[in-house]
Amino acid sequence: MKISNKILIFSFVTAVVLAVAAVVFIHSAGIGEGIAVIYLKGEVVEEIDLNAVTESYTIDVGDGNTVLVEPGRISMLSADCPDQLCVKRGAISDSLYPIVCLPNEVMILISGSTGSGQQPDAIAGR
Amino acid sequence: MNTKKLSLTAMLTAAALIIFVAESQIPPIVPIVGVKLGLANVITLVALYLLSPREAFFISIIRIVLGSIFTGHLMSFFFSLAGGLLCYAAMLFASKIFSKQQIWAVSVLGAIAHNAGQLCVALFMLGRSEILWYSPVLLLSALITGAFTGVTAQLVIHRFNKEK
Repeated sequence: MKISNKILIFSFVTAVVLAVAAVVFIHSAGIGEGIAVIYLKGEVVEEIDLNAVTESYTIDVGDGNTVLVEPGRISMLSADCPDQLCVKRGAISDSLYPIVCLPNEVMILISGSTGSGQQPDAIAGR
Repeated sequence: MNTKKLSLTAMLTAAALIIFVAESQIPPIVPIVGVKLGLANVITLVALYLLSPREAFFISIIRIVLGSIFTGHLMSFFFSLAGGLLCYAAMLFASKIFSKQQIWAVSVLGAIAHNAGQLCVALFMLGRSEILWYSPVLLLSALITGAFTGVTAQLVIHRFNKEK
Protein backbone atom coordinates (compact mmCIF):
# COMPACT_ATOMS: atom_id res chain seq x y z
CA MET A 1 0.00 0.00 0.00
CA LYS A 2 1.45 3.33 -1.05
CA ILE A 3 0.30 6.68 0.15
CA SER A 4 1.33 9.76 -1.81
CA ASN A 5 3.15 12.61 -0.13
CA LYS A 6 0.41 15.01 -1.18
CA ILE A 7 -2.27 13.11 0.72
CA LEU A 8 0.01 12.74 3.71
CA ILE A 9 0.87 16.44 3.92
CA PHE A 10 -2.74 17.40 3.29
CA SER A 11 -3.98 15.21 6.16
CA PHE A 12 -1.22 16.51 8.40
CA VAL A 13 -2.13 20.16 7.75
CA THR A 14 -5.83 19.39 8.16
CA ALA A 15 -5.16 17.72 11.50
CA VAL A 16 -3.11 20.70 12.67
CA VAL A 17 -5.85 23.17 11.67
CA LEU A 18 -8.56 21.09 13.39
CA ALA A 19 -6.47 20.73 16.54
CA VAL A 20 -5.76 24.49 16.65
CA ALA A 21 -9.48 25.21 16.18
CA ALA A 22 -10.38 22.83 19.02
CA VAL A 23 -7.75 24.35 21.31
CA VAL A 24 -8.93 27.90 20.56
CA PHE A 25 -12.54 26.87 21.10
CA ILE A 26 -11.84 25.25 24.47
CA HIS A 27 -9.76 28.25 25.52
CA SER A 28 -12.51 30.72 24.72
CA ALA A 29 -15.31 28.60 26.18
CA GLY A 30 -15.67 29.32 29.88
CA ILE A 31 -17.85 27.41 32.28
CA GLY A 32 -19.34 30.54 33.79
CA GLU A 33 -20.03 29.72 37.39
CA GLY A 34 -16.99 29.52 39.56
CA ILE A 35 -17.38 26.44 41.68
CA ALA A 36 -13.95 24.91 42.22
CA VAL A 37 -13.73 21.25 43.16
CA ILE A 38 -10.49 19.80 44.51
CA TYR A 39 -9.85 16.09 44.05
CA LEU A 40 -7.28 13.87 45.69
CA LYS A 41 -6.89 10.41 44.15
CA GLY A 42 -10.32 10.65 42.57
CA GLU A 43 -12.10 11.71 45.78
CA VAL A 44 -13.61 15.15 46.36
CA VAL A 45 -11.67 16.93 49.08
CA GLU A 46 -13.14 20.39 48.92
CA GLU A 47 -15.78 22.29 47.03
CA ILE A 48 -15.48 26.07 46.95
CA ASP A 49 -17.74 28.73 45.49
CA LEU A 50 -15.07 31.08 44.21
CA ASN A 51 -17.48 33.98 43.88
CA ALA A 52 -18.30 33.77 47.58
CA VAL A 53 -14.65 34.00 48.60
CA THR A 54 -13.84 37.40 50.09
CA GLU A 55 -10.42 36.77 51.60
CA SER A 56 -7.57 34.69 50.27
CA TYR A 57 -6.60 31.53 52.12
CA THR A 58 -4.73 28.29 51.54
CA ILE A 59 -5.72 24.64 51.83
CA ASP A 60 -3.32 21.73 52.20
CA VAL A 61 -4.25 18.83 49.98
CA GLY A 62 -2.72 15.45 50.71
CA ASP A 63 0.92 15.45 51.73
CA GLY A 64 2.56 17.74 49.24
CA ASN A 65 0.15 20.22 47.72
CA THR A 66 -1.03 23.62 48.86
CA VAL A 67 -3.91 25.30 47.07
CA LEU A 68 -4.38 29.06 47.12
CA VAL A 69 -7.98 30.26 47.07
CA GLU A 70 -8.56 33.88 46.11
CA PRO A 71 -11.74 35.84 45.37
CA GLY A 72 -12.91 34.53 42.00
CA ARG A 73 -9.93 32.33 41.26
CA ILE A 74 -7.90 29.36 42.45
CA SER A 75 -4.34 28.19 41.94
CA MET A 76 -1.75 25.69 43.13
CA LEU A 77 0.57 27.56 45.47
CA SER A 78 3.12 24.79 45.94
CA ALA A 79 3.69 21.14 45.21
CA ASP A 80 6.47 18.74 46.15
CA CYS A 81 6.73 17.16 42.71
CA PRO A 82 9.82 17.74 40.53
CA ASP A 83 8.17 19.22 37.45
CA GLN A 84 6.04 21.92 39.18
CA LEU A 85 3.69 21.98 36.20
CA CYS A 86 0.59 22.58 38.31
CA VAL A 87 2.22 25.58 40.03
CA LYS A 88 3.38 27.08 36.73
CA ARG A 89 -0.13 26.70 35.40
CA GLY A 90 -1.19 29.76 37.43
CA ALA A 91 -4.67 30.69 38.58
CA ILE A 92 -7.88 29.59 36.90
CA SER A 93 -11.35 31.06 37.28
CA ASP A 94 -13.64 29.57 34.65
CA SER A 95 -11.31 27.43 32.56
CA LEU A 96 -12.38 24.09 31.12
CA TYR A 97 -8.84 22.83 31.65
CA PRO A 98 -8.41 21.48 35.15
CA ILE A 99 -5.21 22.13 37.10
CA VAL A 100 -3.54 18.76 37.39
CA CYS A 101 -0.72 17.54 39.59
CA LEU A 102 -0.21 14.05 38.25
CA PRO A 103 2.54 12.83 40.61
CA ASN A 104 0.32 13.44 43.63
CA GLU A 105 -2.95 12.70 41.85
CA VAL A 106 -4.41 16.09 42.73
CA MET A 107 -6.81 17.87 40.42
CA ILE A 108 -8.64 21.18 40.66
CA LEU A 109 -11.47 21.71 38.25
CA ILE A 110 -14.06 24.39 37.79
CA SER A 111 -17.52 22.99 37.83
CA GLY A 112 -20.70 24.60 36.51
CA SER A 113 -22.76 23.85 39.60
CA THR A 114 -22.37 22.55 43.14
CA GLY A 115 -22.84 18.87 43.78
CA SER A 116 -21.56 17.75 40.42
CA GLY A 117 -18.53 16.30 42.16
CA GLN A 118 -20.69 13.68 43.84
CA GLN A 119 -22.07 12.30 40.60
CA PRO A 120 -20.68 8.94 39.58
CA ASP A 121 -18.27 9.18 36.74
CA ALA A 122 -19.18 7.24 33.65
CA ILE A 123 -15.61 6.62 32.61
CA ALA A 124 -13.58 5.83 35.64
CA GLY A 125 -15.36 6.43 38.91
CA ARG A 126 -13.30 5.16 41.76
CA MET B 1 23.00 -11.23 16.80
CA ASN B 2 26.45 -10.35 15.54
CA THR B 3 28.92 -8.07 17.27
CA LYS B 4 28.26 -5.10 15.04
CA LYS B 5 24.55 -5.28 15.63
CA LEU B 6 25.05 -5.74 19.35
CA SER B 7 27.32 -2.73 19.69
CA LEU B 8 25.04 -0.55 17.58
CA THR B 9 22.09 -1.57 19.77
CA ALA B 10 24.04 -0.77 22.92
CA MET B 11 25.19 2.55 21.52
CA LEU B 12 21.68 3.55 20.50
CA THR B 13 20.35 2.58 23.94
CA ALA B 14 22.95 4.80 25.58
CA ALA B 15 22.19 7.65 23.18
CA ALA B 16 18.45 7.32 23.82
CA LEU B 17 19.02 7.43 27.57
CA ILE B 18 21.29 10.47 27.35
CA ILE B 19 18.79 12.33 25.20
CA PHE B 20 15.96 11.36 27.55
CA VAL B 21 17.78 12.54 30.67
CA ALA B 22 19.07 15.72 29.02
CA GLU B 23 15.62 16.60 27.77
CA SER B 24 14.09 16.10 31.20
CA GLN B 25 16.40 18.85 32.50
CA ILE B 26 14.99 21.41 30.10
CA PRO B 27 12.19 23.36 31.77
CA PRO B 28 8.88 22.80 29.96
CA ILE B 29 7.89 25.57 27.57
CA VAL B 30 4.19 24.93 27.84
CA PRO B 31 2.98 24.29 31.40
CA ILE B 32 0.84 21.32 30.45
CA VAL B 33 1.52 17.74 31.44
CA GLY B 34 2.52 15.64 28.46
CA VAL B 35 3.65 18.46 26.21
CA LYS B 36 7.29 17.76 25.50
CA LEU B 37 9.55 17.20 22.55
CA GLY B 38 10.21 13.49 22.95
CA LEU B 39 13.57 13.62 21.21
CA ALA B 40 14.51 10.16 22.49
CA ASN B 41 11.96 8.78 20.07
CA VAL B 42 14.39 9.66 17.26
CA ILE B 43 16.52 6.75 18.48
CA THR B 44 13.59 4.33 18.54
CA LEU B 45 12.85 5.28 14.95
CA VAL B 46 16.48 4.93 13.90
CA ALA B 47 16.61 1.48 15.50
CA LEU B 48 13.34 0.50 13.86
CA TYR B 49 14.76 1.28 10.42
CA LEU B 50 18.44 0.44 10.80
CA LEU B 51 18.19 -2.60 13.05
CA SER B 52 14.91 -4.43 13.49
CA PRO B 53 11.59 -4.03 15.31
CA ARG B 54 12.89 -6.33 18.06
CA GLU B 55 15.91 -4.15 18.84
CA ALA B 56 13.80 -1.01 18.63
CA PHE B 57 11.40 -2.47 21.16
CA PHE B 58 14.12 -3.34 23.67
CA ILE B 59 15.90 -0.01 23.25
CA SER B 60 12.64 1.79 23.92
CA ILE B 61 11.79 -0.31 27.01
CA ILE B 62 15.29 -0.10 28.51
CA ARG B 63 15.33 3.66 27.93
CA ILE B 64 12.00 4.02 29.73
CA VAL B 65 12.96 1.84 32.70
CA LEU B 66 16.41 3.39 33.20
CA GLY B 67 15.18 6.88 32.32
CA SER B 68 12.50 6.69 35.01
CA ILE B 69 15.06 5.53 37.56
CA PHE B 70 17.41 8.38 36.65
CA THR B 71 14.87 11.18 36.43
CA GLY B 72 12.62 10.52 39.35
CA HIS B 73 9.10 9.53 40.10
CA LEU B 74 7.63 6.07 39.97
CA MET B 75 4.47 7.65 38.64
CA SER B 76 6.19 8.95 35.54
CA PHE B 77 7.27 5.38 34.82
CA PHE B 78 3.72 4.25 34.16
CA PHE B 79 3.09 7.25 31.95
CA SER B 80 6.26 6.68 29.97
CA LEU B 81 5.58 2.96 29.68
CA ALA B 82 2.00 3.34 28.47
CA GLY B 83 3.03 6.07 26.06
CA GLY B 84 6.14 4.24 24.92
CA LEU B 85 4.39 0.93 24.21
CA LEU B 86 1.54 2.54 22.29
CA CYS B 87 3.99 4.74 20.41
CA TYR B 88 6.05 1.70 19.46
CA ALA B 89 3.02 -0.24 18.28
CA ALA B 90 1.78 2.67 16.18
CA MET B 91 5.20 3.27 14.61
CA LEU B 92 5.70 -0.41 13.83
CA PHE B 93 2.35 -0.47 12.06
CA ALA B 94 2.96 2.84 10.28
CA SER B 95 6.45 1.88 9.14
CA LYS B 96 4.90 -0.95 7.12
CA ILE B 97 2.62 1.47 5.28
CA PHE B 98 4.76 4.55 4.75
CA SER B 99 7.79 4.79 2.49
CA LYS B 100 11.35 5.71 3.50
CA GLN B 101 10.60 9.31 2.52
CA GLN B 102 7.67 9.43 4.91
CA ILE B 103 9.36 8.51 8.17
CA TRP B 104 8.23 11.86 9.58
CA ALA B 105 4.62 10.66 9.28
CA VAL B 106 5.49 7.45 11.12
CA SER B 107 6.84 9.62 13.92
CA VAL B 108 3.72 11.81 13.98
CA LEU B 109 1.48 8.75 14.38
CA GLY B 110 3.79 7.45 17.09
CA ALA B 111 3.62 10.76 18.95
CA ILE B 112 -0.17 10.83 18.76
CA ALA B 113 -0.34 7.26 20.11
CA HIS B 114 2.14 8.20 22.85
CA ASN B 115 0.05 11.11 24.05
CA ALA B 116 -3.15 9.09 23.78
CA GLY B 117 -1.58 6.44 26.01
CA GLN B 118 -0.55 9.02 28.57
CA LEU B 119 -3.99 10.59 28.55
CA CYS B 120 -5.52 7.16 29.21
CA VAL B 121 -3.25 6.61 32.22
CA ALA B 122 -4.14 10.08 33.52
CA LEU B 123 -7.82 9.36 33.01
CA PHE B 124 -7.51 6.12 34.92
CA MET B 125 -5.48 7.68 37.75
CA LEU B 126 -7.49 10.85 38.27
CA GLY B 127 -10.79 9.20 37.53
CA ARG B 128 -12.42 12.30 36.04
CA SER B 129 -13.39 12.70 32.42
CA GLU B 130 -12.72 16.48 32.53
CA ILE B 131 -9.09 15.63 31.81
CA LEU B 132 -10.19 14.88 28.25
CA TRP B 133 -10.44 18.63 27.60
CA TYR B 134 -6.69 18.38 27.28
CA SER B 135 -6.87 16.03 24.31
CA PRO B 136 -6.82 18.73 21.55
CA VAL B 137 -3.77 20.36 23.14
CA LEU B 138 -2.04 17.01 23.36
CA LEU B 139 -2.98 16.19 19.77
CA LEU B 140 -1.59 19.49 18.54
CA SER B 141 1.55 18.97 20.58
CA ALA B 142 1.97 15.47 19.14
CA LEU B 143 1.56 16.73 15.58
CA ILE B 144 4.23 19.38 15.97
CA THR B 145 6.76 17.50 18.09
CA GLY B 146 6.18 14.28 16.14
CA ALA B 147 6.87 15.98 12.84
CA PHE B 148 10.02 17.60 14.25
CA THR B 149 11.49 14.42 15.73
CA GLY B 150 10.36 12.50 12.63
CA VAL B 151 12.23 14.80 10.26
CA THR B 152 15.29 14.53 12.50
CA ALA B 153 15.09 10.73 12.48
CA GLN B 154 14.57 10.66 8.71
CA LEU B 155 17.73 12.73 8.18
CA VAL B 156 19.73 10.50 10.53
CA ILE B 157 18.51 7.29 8.88
CA HIS B 158 19.29 8.50 5.37
CA ARG B 159 22.71 9.70 6.47
CA PHE B 160 23.43 6.30 8.04
CA ASN B 161 22.33 4.49 4.89
CA LYS B 162 24.63 6.63 2.75
CA GLU B 163 27.62 5.86 4.98
CA LYS B 164 27.12 2.12 4.67
